[in-house]
Amino acid sequence: MIFGQKNEDLTGWLNSSTIFWQSRLHLKSIQMTKFRCKAALRPMYFCRDALLLDMDFLDRYRDIVPDFKAFRAIQSRPLFSSARINTLKINKDLLLERLCEEAVPYQIFDWYPLGLKMDVESPGKLVENLLGHIHIQEELSMVPPLVLGPMPGESILDLCASPGSKTTQISAMMENRGLVIANEPSLARIAALRSNCERLGAMNVAITRYDGRNFPRGSFDRVLVDAPCSAEGRERRGPGVIERSNCKRSLDLSVLQIGLLKNAIRLTKPGGVVVYSTCTYAPEENEMVVSAVLNELAIMNESDEAEESAKAHLERVMISGLQECPGISEWNGHDLGQEMSLSARYYPHMNDTGGFFVAKIIKS
Amino acid sequence: MSQRSSRVRNVFLPLDLAEVADLWHTRFGIRAEAFSGYRFFKKAKSIWAISDVELPRLSYEAMGMRIMNCKDRPWKPTTAALQVFGKYAARNLMHLDVDSARIFLEGKSQEVSEVVASQCEPGYVVVFYRGEVLGCGLYSHGLLVSQIPKERRLAGRGE
Repeated sequence: MIFGQKNEDLTGWLNSSTIFWQSRLHLKSIQMTKFRCKAALRPMYFCRDALLLDMDFLDRYRDIVPDFKAFRAIQSRPLFSSARINTLKINKDLLLERLCEEAVPYQIFDWYPLGLKMDVESPGKLVENLLGHIHIQEELSMVPPLVLGPMPGESILDLCASPGSKTTQISAMMENRGLVIANEPSLARIAALRSNCERLGAMNVAITRYDGRNFPRGSFDRVLVDAPCSAEGRERRGPGVIERSNCKRSLDLSVLQIGLLKNAIRLTKPGGVVVYSTCTYAPEENEMVVSAVLNELAIMNESDEAEESAKAHLERVMISGLQECPGISEWNGHDLGQEMSLSARYYPHMNDTGGFFVAKIIKS
Repeated sequence: MSQRSSRVRNVFLPLDLAEVADLWHTRFGIRAEAFSGYRFFKKAKSIWAISDVELPRLSYEAMGMRIMNCKDRPWKPTTAALQVFGKYAARNLMHLDVDSARIFLEGKSQEVSEVVASQCEPGYVVVFYRGEVLGCGLYSHGLLVSQIPKERRLAGRGE
C-alpha cells in the first residue's frame, strides 16, 4: 500500500500521476499561450478550439459516451441561462406575465413546467430574481430534487446543500411544510445558502454545519447527496474545468463521496430514498462510488457484523422528456454490477444541457 | 470550549408566539393568526422563524428565516420577513409608483409625498408596489430610506 492506494491500482496510479505531472508542466506553457490568445481573441471559446489538447482528457470517455464527436463538439458551446420559478412566492402565470412586460425572452422547458430558458445577459440582475420570484439554476440541477420526490410534511436532509438551489427547490416542492435540514461544512458557503433560502422565502429550512461524513444523528424520509465532484459537466458554463481534471483528483474525491453516501444511507429511515448526484462524467466518482457503497452494505449484511446494517437497492431514474443514458456497469476492467445501469447519465449533446449523474437508492 | 465554538455561538432560545406577534401587531397591525404555523427562536439579538415542526437534536447555524433584528431600538423587521408577512400589514405601509419603486429597489433614499405616507408614522414601514411587498423602508421627516440589503439591489441606471 502506498498513499492508501491498493496494490492492483498501483500501476495505474503511477502511470496517471506521471502523466499528471507531465501534463501540469505542459499546462503551464499552454496557459501562457492561452493568456496571450485570450487577449487577442474574444470570446475565449475560439482559442479553446485552437488548443484542442485541453479536450484530450475527455478521450477516456470515448467508449462510454454515445456519439462522442457531438459530445466533444458541444463542450465549447456556452449554455443558455436557465431559472426556476419559485412557487413559494409567486404563481407561474403571474411571473410569465411579468417577464413579458419586461420583454425578457424565455422558453419553458419541455420536461419541467417550472423551468425557464432565458436569453438575458445577466439574469441575476433581473428584478424577479432579486425579489425571489425566480432562482437562477442550471437546467439539470433541477433533476435530483425531482428524483428525490419530497412530499409536504416529510423530513428531508440535504447533505451538501450550498448554495441552496436544490434545497429551496425541495422546500418549494414541500410547500414550506415539513422540515429540510440543509447541511454545509463551510461557513463562507453557509452565508450564500442562508441568503438564498431567505430570498426565496423557504421557511422550513434549518441549516447545520457538520462534515457530511460525520453528520451525527437523525432519521430522515429522504436524503439528497449532491456530492462535491470534479464538475466536468460544468464545462459549458465555466470553461477550463476539464483541463483541470485528472484521474488522481477523481480518486481522491471518490473517497469523500463514499464517506458521504455511506453516512446518508445510515441516516435514512428504512424504506427511505437516497439520491446521489454529481455533475461529472468520471465513473470513479459516479457508478464506482455507488457500487462500492452497495457492495460494502451487502458484505456487512452477509457477515451480520454491524447491528445497523441495512439493505439497499437501486431504482431506475427516469425523467420524461429528458433523454438519459444508463449508468455503466464496467469501467477499466472493474465490474460494477449490472444494477448500475438503473442510474442515469445525462450528456450535454443529448438534451443541450450540462452533464449530470443521478442514482436513486432505496433503503430496505 | 472556546468562545467561538459553535455550541456557544449557536444557542437558539425558544420564544413564545404571542410575544413576537404582539410586537408585529403593535407596529404593523398584523394579527397573530398570520404567525400560526411557525416557531420562533432568539439567537443573540435576532429573532428567527421556522415552520412548526419537530426539530431533531442538532447544532444549528440557522433556523428558517431571520425575521427581526433587535440590536437597536426600535426593532427592525428584515426585508425577507416582510416579503412573507408584510402582506398582512394594516398600518405603517406605503404604496409606491413605478419610478419611486425603482429608486427604492436601487437602495436610494427619496422624498415621498404626504398622500403616499398617509398611513405611516416615523419608523420602519412596509413598502408595496402593485400590491406586492418590495421590502422594508425607514420613513421619517418625509424621507423614505431604502433598507434593501446591498446584494439584492437593482443596478442603478447609467452605472
